[in-house]
Amino acid sequence: MRVVVDLNRCQGYAQCAFLAPDVFAMHGEEALLYDGEPDGTRRLDVLRAEAACPVKAITVEGAGAAWTAAGAGVSNGP
Amino acid sequence: MTSVALLGQILDYANRADPYPLYAELRRTPVVRDESGPYLVSTYWEIHSLLHDPRVSSDIRNLAPEAKTAPRTEDPDLPPSFIRLDPPDHDRLRRLIMRTYGPPHAPRRVYGLRGEISGIVSGLIDRFQGRDRIDLVDDFSYPFPVTVICRLLGVPQEDEQRFHGWADTVATAIEPAVGTPEEQQAHWQAIREAHHQLAEYLSGLIAQRRRAPREDMISALATDRGADESPMSLPEMLSNLTLLLIAGHETTVNLITNGMLTLLRHPDTLKQLRADPDLVIPLVEELLRFEPPVQLLPERTTLDDIEIAGTTIPQGASLWLVPASGNRDPRRFPEPDRFLPDRPDNQHFGFGSGIHNCIGSPLARLEAQAALAELVRRLDNPRLVEDPPPYRHNAVLRGPRHLPIAFDGLSR
Ligand code: HEM
Ligand code: SF4
Repeated sequence: MRVVVDLNRCQGYAQCAFLAPDVFAMHGEEALLYDGEPDGTRRLDVLRAEAACPVKAITVEGAGAAWTAAGAGVSNGP
Repeated sequence: MTSVALLGQILDYANRADPYPLYAELRRTPVVRDESGPYLVSTYWEIHSLLHDPRVSSDIRNLAPEAKTAPRTEDPDLPPSFIRLDPPDHDRLRRLIMRTYGPPHAPRRVYGLRGEISGIVSGLIDRFQGRDRIDLVDDFSYPFPVTVICRLLGVPQEDEQRFHGWADTVATAIEPAVGTPEEQQAHWQAIREAHHQLAEYLSGLIAQRRRAPREDMISALATDRGADESPMSLPEMLSNLTLLLIAGHETTVNLITNGMLTLLRHPDTLKQLRADPDLVIPLVEELLRFEPPVQLLPERTTLDDIEIAGTTIPQGASLWLVPASGNRDPRRFPEPDRFLPDRPDNQHFGFGSGIHNCIGSPLARLEAQAALAELVRRLDNPRLVEDPPPYRHNAVLRGPRHLPIAFDGLSR
């Protein structure tokens, strides 16, 4: 499983760190650290984090979930 | 200047089961003054911009007294909680709560509740055994979130029943008082009494945990020294703990109830979810867009003139944002009136946006995901008994009062 966070989009909302604390961690109030290749036991946590990210900054590959392939944050504004 | 007469209709109980056509009408003018006074904002990008605008205040002390019409749920004898404060007071209190509740200081507080959440869900569903009909609200959705909040805070299990009683009474404040003036008086008196008992109970628990801290959130709050800022006073703790209880109660009830209602109205999606339980993860996001428990964000105030969508909202105006309408804005969401459980790029307003975005969202997501996946797995051939179901009065926190469901049996 591969996880990529678009750190330009990321707003430090920490939703990911709440739902997958073994994969995402907040460093201080804003900066995000994460494991780009978590093992399979974290699959559901990672899928929850991806869905919960308010700005859709997280992309997950190889988690066997059809819906994750279709476009993280494609809309930036009006 | 144009104005509309839509707020009265939105608040009218006759439109509770399906307010969405009214929102579509509202979106024809993204920012518009309602005859009754407030400015209504109904389109996605305009709502987004105002939720991120420091000139928009959540502090109702900035609002003219005659503009205050939304029901009050807070204890009038405590200081305002941070949902009704602006920076810097909001930020200080929110940070202090976060230190005991979420990353980076308490990264496993919510995550650690997953086991308890699934235990509570199973326990509630086990009680359906031997029946062929339930009221999802009374038998499941209503008791569930309060139990979870008790475990989060660290309310001992033997006190949970009393806690449920206060929570239920306090929550009735969001409904209009009915009956004779004496009955209404008694209604408000009962709410005030429940607030006092809750505050007294929490004070006792805080004192106890200060002496003998445990692993729970109340202990963390009671012993936190606040790093660089002044720690919370006791009245601040009481006010903001009560906020967690109130903000996380009816909202979560409605998300779960709306969820089952929507699934039973979309049998193909229900079947799909049975076959692939992980689908519940994006499905809950779509629910938060399609049937959001918080439909309106009433009574914000403009601290300055604000130019938006060709309109100038004057300083001191009362602003009602309509996130449930923004969630159906066709300029943001393709086919907005379709329920698509795996909708891509679903940046809905279900939990608000900006500085007041919901702090309970990770917990609410785990609760709703666990509840819906397990209800769908265990109920054999579930069916709606009536559609639409009877709704609660409240237009802001909108959801069914009852949701009778018939079924043929219960899986293990
Ligand atoms: C499905 C369930 C829930 C929904 C739909 C929901 C929705 C919302 C929304 C829309 C806001 C923004 C309010 C505003 O902008 O004025 C909010 C704020 C808030 N919510 Fe939730 N909520 C839910 C569950 C919870 C839970 C479980 C908790 C507590 C554990 C909680 C605590 C809060 C708090 C404290 C705020 C205020 C945040 C601030 O002002 O900075 N909510 N919620
Ligand atoms: S949830 Fe999204 S925005 Fe928030 S910290 Fe994680 S990646 Fe960043």
